[in-house]
Amino acid sequence: MSRPLRKLLDKAGMAVCVLLLVSPALLFFIWMLSLSLKFEIDNGAYPPILIPDRFAWKNYTTIFEGNSFLLYFWNSLIVTGAATLFALVVGVPAGYGIARMKAHKSAVVIMIARMTPGLSFLIPLFLLFQWLGLLGTLWPQIIIHLVVTVPIVIWIMIGYFETTPMELEEAAMVDGATRWQIFAKVALPIAKPGIVVAFILSVIFSWNNFVFGIVLASRETRTLPVAVYNMLSFEQVSWGPLAAAALVVTLPVLILTVAAQRQIVAGLTAGAVKGG
Amino acid sequence: MASVSIRNVRKSYGTVEIIKGVSIDIQDGEFVILVGPSGCGKSTLLRMIAGLEEISGGTVAIDDRVVNDVPPKDRDIAMVFQNYALYPHMTIADNMSFALRLKNTAKSEITAKVERAAGILGLGPLLGRFPRQLSGGQRQRVAMGRAIVRDPKVFLFDEPLSNLDAKLRVQMRTEIKEMHQRLKTTTVYVTHDQIEAMTMADKIVVMHDGIIEQIGAPLDLYDNPANMFVAGFIGSPAMNFIPGSIGGDGFTTEGGDRLPLGGRVPAASDGRPAVYGVRPEHFRLADDGMAAEVVVVEPTGSETQMVLRPLGAKAGREDRKRELTWVLRERTGAKPGEVVRIAPDPALAHLFNPDTGLRL
Repeated sequence: MSRPLRKLLDKAGMAVCVLLLVSPALLFFIWMLSLSLKFEIDNGAYPPILIPDRFAWKNYTTIFEGNSFLLYFWNSLIVTGAATLFALVVGVPAGYGIARMKAHKSAVVIMIARMTPGLSFLIPLFLLFQWLGLLGTLWPQIIIHLVVTVPIVIWIMIGYFETTPMELEEAAMVDGATRWQIFAKVALPIAKPGIVVAFILSVIFSWNNFVFGIVLASRETRTLPVAVYNMLSFEQVSWGPLAAAALVVTLPVLILTVAAQRQIVAGLTAGAVKGG
Repeated sequence: MASVSIRNVRKSYGTVEIIKGVSIDIQDGEFVILVGPSGCGKSTLLRMIAGLEEISGGTVAIDDRVVNDVPPKDRDIAMVFQNYALYPHMTIADNMSFALRLKNTAKSEITAKVERAAGILGLGPLLGRFPRQLSGGQRQRVAMGRAIVRDPKVFLFDEPLSNLDAKLRVQMRTEIKEMHQRLKTTTVYVTHDQIEAMTMADKIVVMHDGIIEQIGAPLDLYDNPANMFVAGFIGSPAMNFIPGSIGGDGFTTEGGDRLPLGGRVPAASDGRPAVYGVRPEHFRLADDGMAAEVVVVEPTGSETQMVLRPLGAKAGREDRKRELTWVLRERTGAKPGEVVRIAPDPALAHLFNPDTGLRL
């Protein structure tokens, strides 16, 4: 076999493998996009149609007309934003402390909070929030999303701080820095790529969370995943608007991830402690 | 500037004792080098002076003030790390001024001090760059600059040159020595490289297995090693150790060769087993010397190193340690397999007790 041909075959093989690996995620997404652009009649057609003759842009306009979609979007933004922000404020120093003190047991305890199924504590918490008079506000959802976001941030930051070189902090110690100054002026700036990763994962998990919203949200305090779920009615499932709504819900997270990916890569190459 | 006094210092991790009672007096302005093989405790000792390791026993005093419980930030020391430990998110100028900024020093003073240090080290054009944009040697200089700017009581160096290539290492060695001659700051320097220790130190502390083997000026250690460890560690290539016994007015090797003692026979030592130590450059050709076969000839240009096997010794692998190294200043036409007759200079040879390793 000639060399160029061999190379070509290698490349083709690689392409097939990559396609196989990403196809579940990709095909799912493409089908969702297709659904969101088809009229009901096309959505039910057999054999299935991938690209319709006429595009149903109406699906996208209906989600913004019929429902209080913008309100739900705002709710989602507040809940995810507040839960992530608070998780970073608490979780980054906590991760630093656990990493430096080698307090792996407390890390496990935090993980247990994450492993406990949400439904087991949702009902008592629902009663608690009712007693506190917080139902009807976004507070219950913000607070309960911390169960998801705080452990993620702590665990990612533990892993990150464990890899940052101790010598830098020792140098700062000798240079006259206090513990807090070392954290704020040396450890934190170096951990920026780790913080970005923690931020993104925290946002994704919080943004997509459904169980907490469905239990704790009232009509005015729904977040987007709950709102999408409510588009399923008893009489019929309108696939077009549903898929369109799901896509709109996914879009902010998608954009955030793509935008921040560059940051992560840039951050990883910026470290450089040793020579070379 | 300050003196450092280390009194009977111990360090243990659990039941394992790393440093077993060490005392060193470092005078004001002195350049002291802690040298020893890996794991001898020299870095741990330095980190205890810095305050980065707790002291299990004994005291460390800087300028007569015991600092055992003083945190590193209040000890007024500056340290240069092996990996440079430059803050990657700060420019060179910010790296160098970090300590001063923490102390809220006036801006004008910071600028002046940074520029002075940058001038000493030739870092002027690099002040606005980041550590990742610098070569290894430049980073090393920045790490030193960060220490100079502080104007501390004591400089601590933890194997600062081991990440550099051989040529740069020699150059930086000279620069550090020059810097010390200029600033005269008390310096404690850790290295495993005895050449670094010999060339830079005012005083060398040879450590081994958590104890001090010998303290002294470089040439003093070279000429008068207290024991076989120091004799073998200081000097490159290492000293030749020839086992045998003392008898009459000479020394008889295990292979049966006679070596001269120059009348320096220790008292009451007839027939006593001993180790004859002679440095590779202290052999000379002699018609009545011991016969040895040339095994390898290694010319380096300025000198020639030769590995010899005494004919008295049986050839074979276990006799590898009986092989002798000879360093000649002049070039030689000797070929492997040839037999030469060499004799050590008895005035420069040493005798050691084979059991205790101590010099007789």
